[in-house]
Amino acid sequence: MTMMRSGLLLGFLAVAYLGVPLLFGGMDYVMSLVIAALTIAGIAVAWALLGNLGGLVSFGHAAFFGVGAYVSALLVMDNGWPVLPAMLAGGLGAAIASVATMPALRLRGPYFALAILAYAHIFKILAVEFSSITGGAGGLLSIPGFPTVFGLDLASKTGAYVLILTIVLAWMAVYHAIRRSTWGLALRAMHDSELATRVVGVPSTHLKAVMLVVSAFMTGVVGAFNAHQISFLDPEYAFSGTWTVLPIAAAIFGGYRTVWGPLMGALVVYLLDQLVFKEIMPSGHQLVFGVLLGAMILLSPQGLMPLLARLGVARPRRETAPQAAAPHATEDGNARA
Amino acid sequence: MLALDDVSMNFGGVAALRNVTFAMDEGETLGLIGPNGAGKTTLFNVISGVLTPSAGRLEFAGKPLGKAANWRRARQGIGRTFQIPQPMHELTVRENLMVAQRFGAGRTDGRRIDEILDLLDLTAKQHIDAAHGLALTEQKALEVGKALAVEPRLLMLDEVLGGLETATKRAFGQTLQRVRERYGLTMIVIEHDIETIKTLCPRVVVLNFGELIADGTPDEVFNDARVIRSYTGDSAA
Repeated sequence: MTMMRSGLLLGFLAVAYLGVPLLFGGMDYVMSLVIAALTIAGIAVAWALLGNLGGLVSFGHAAFFGVGAYVSALLVMDNGWPVLPAMLAGGLGAAIASVATMPALRLRGPYFALAILAYAHIFKILAVEFSSITGGAGGLLSIPGFPTVFGLDLASKTGAYVLILTIVLAWMAVYHAIRRSTWGLALRAMHDSELATRVVGVPSTHLKAVMLVVSAFMTGVVGAFNAHQISFLDPEYAFSGTWTVLPIAAAIFGGYRTVWGPLMGALVVYLLDQLVFKEIMPSGHQLVFGVLLGAMILLSPQGLMPLLARLGVARPRRETAPQAAAPHATEDGNARA
Repeated sequence: MLALDDVSMNFGGVAALRNVTFAMDEGETLGLIGPNGAGKTTLFNVISGVLTPSAGRLEFAGKPLGKAANWRRARQGIGRTFQIPQPMHELTVRENLMVAQRFGAGRTDGRRIDEILDLLDLTAKQHIDAAHGLALTEQKALEVGKALAVEPRLLMLDEVLGGLETATKRAFGQTLQRVRERYGLTMIVIEHDIETIKTLCPRVVVLNFGELIADGTPDEVFNDARVIRSYTGDSAA
C-alpha cells in the first residue's frame, strides 16, 4: 500500500471513528440516519461480495437479514446469551440458512435472483408459522440492547454507530482480502468465462456456494445488529424487501465491483434521500432517488467510485491494454457457425 | 495413460461419436484428424469432462474417469485448449496462469509461471488484460499456457495453430515441440495442417462422422483409402 493510500485510509478512519461522533454525537436524529445508512452498507457489501465475486444477483438477502436477527434475538432472550456472541451466532444461523438456498445455485441470472427471492418469502412464512418460538406475526418485543464494552455504551447512538461502523469495515476488509486472493481472481474470472475456469480446475459451483455462505453470514450479523439496536422484530419487518432493495440500490449506485462502492453508495443514497429529498418532497421523495439511480446507471454503469476515479478524485482501476478483436466462442469453446 | 472403450456421444438423434475405442501410452503424441463435424472436439469435450458420454468407458492413468466433473479432470492431470481461445476475463495473462496453477496443480510457483511465459513468448505481455489485449497468436499461446499451468500429464490441443499464417504456424509448431520435450507430456493434437501433424505426431487417429476409421503412422493413415474418401467424398478413391 502506498504512503498516500495509507494516509487516506488513516484520515478516513480518524474522521469515521472520531470526527463523526464528535460532530454529530449529540444529534440523535442524524446519528440514527447514519446508523441506518451503515446498516444498509453492511448488507450492500455482503450483496456486492456475492454479486461481484460470486457472480450471483440476489433478490433474497432479506432472508439472511431476518434469520440473523431472529437467531440472535432468540439466543439472547430465551437462552441468556450475551449480545455480541449472539450476533455472531445470528450470522452463523444465516450462513446455515443459506445452505438451504444452494439448490438455486444451479440456476443462472434472473432465475437465481427469483429463486432466492422465493426463499426469503419461505423464511418469512416460517417466522410467522413457528409462533411458539418466534412470537409469530406479533414478533418479539423488548429485545435486549448492546452492552458496554471498554467503557463505551454500545446501546447509545454513538456506541451503536461505532459498532456498525466496525462491522461494515470488517466486511469490507473481508471483501478486499477475498478479492485480492487467487480465489478472488478465479471468482472474478468466472462471470464471463466459467468454462475456461472450470477446465483449469476451478470448482466454480463450490466457490459460488462459499461466497453465498460468507455473504449470508455477513448479512445475518447486520440483521442481528439491527434487532438489538431497535429492540423489536416481526416477520414483516425482518424479512422486508427493504433489506434487499436498498442495499442493491446502494451497491449499484456506489459501484458494487469496488470495495468502497457499497459503503459510499449507502451513505450518499440514504443520507441524501433522508436529509435532502425528504425535506424537499415529504411524500414521493423516493422518486428523486429513483431518478438519481437511473442517471447513475446511464452516466456511469459501474457506479460512483469508478466515476470518481475517472474524474481523478479516487484511485483509478488497473489500466488495460487497448481492445483487440477476439473471435467469438460458443459455450463449449467452438467457433460460432 | 488414456484408454477409451466404446465411447459414444449422442445429441438427441445425432451420433457425434460412435463406439470410439483407442488407447495411448505415456509420452505418446497422437494426432487427431478428420473432416469438419467428424467429432474431434466432441471427443476432447468428452475426455476433459465438458460432456458426459452417452455410453462407453474412459480410463486415465489406470483409473476410470467415470462422471468426474471437468474441474476434477483438470486436477487429475488433463489439460486442454479450446479451438476459439477462452481467456479468463478480467484477468491479466499472468493471473490466468496463476489461477490455472493454483486450482489445477494445487500449488503456487512463480518460477514455473515465468518459465511457461518465457517458453510461449508471453513474458512481455504478462500484465496485459488477457481478454482484450492480445493478438490471435498470443491468445493461442495463452490457451497452451493455461493448460500447462495445470501441470497436466495429458495435454489436448484443439487447433491451436488454426487461423495462423504459415510462418507463424511453423514457429508455433516448434514451440509446441519444445513444450513437449520440456515437460515430457502425453499429447493429443487436433490439427488440419498435414505438415504439422506429420512433424508433431508419430501416430494419427482419424475420425469421420463420429467413427474411428484409421489409426496408424501419418504415412499409413494419409494413404488409407477410407481416410482419403472421408476428405474428398470421392467414392472411387
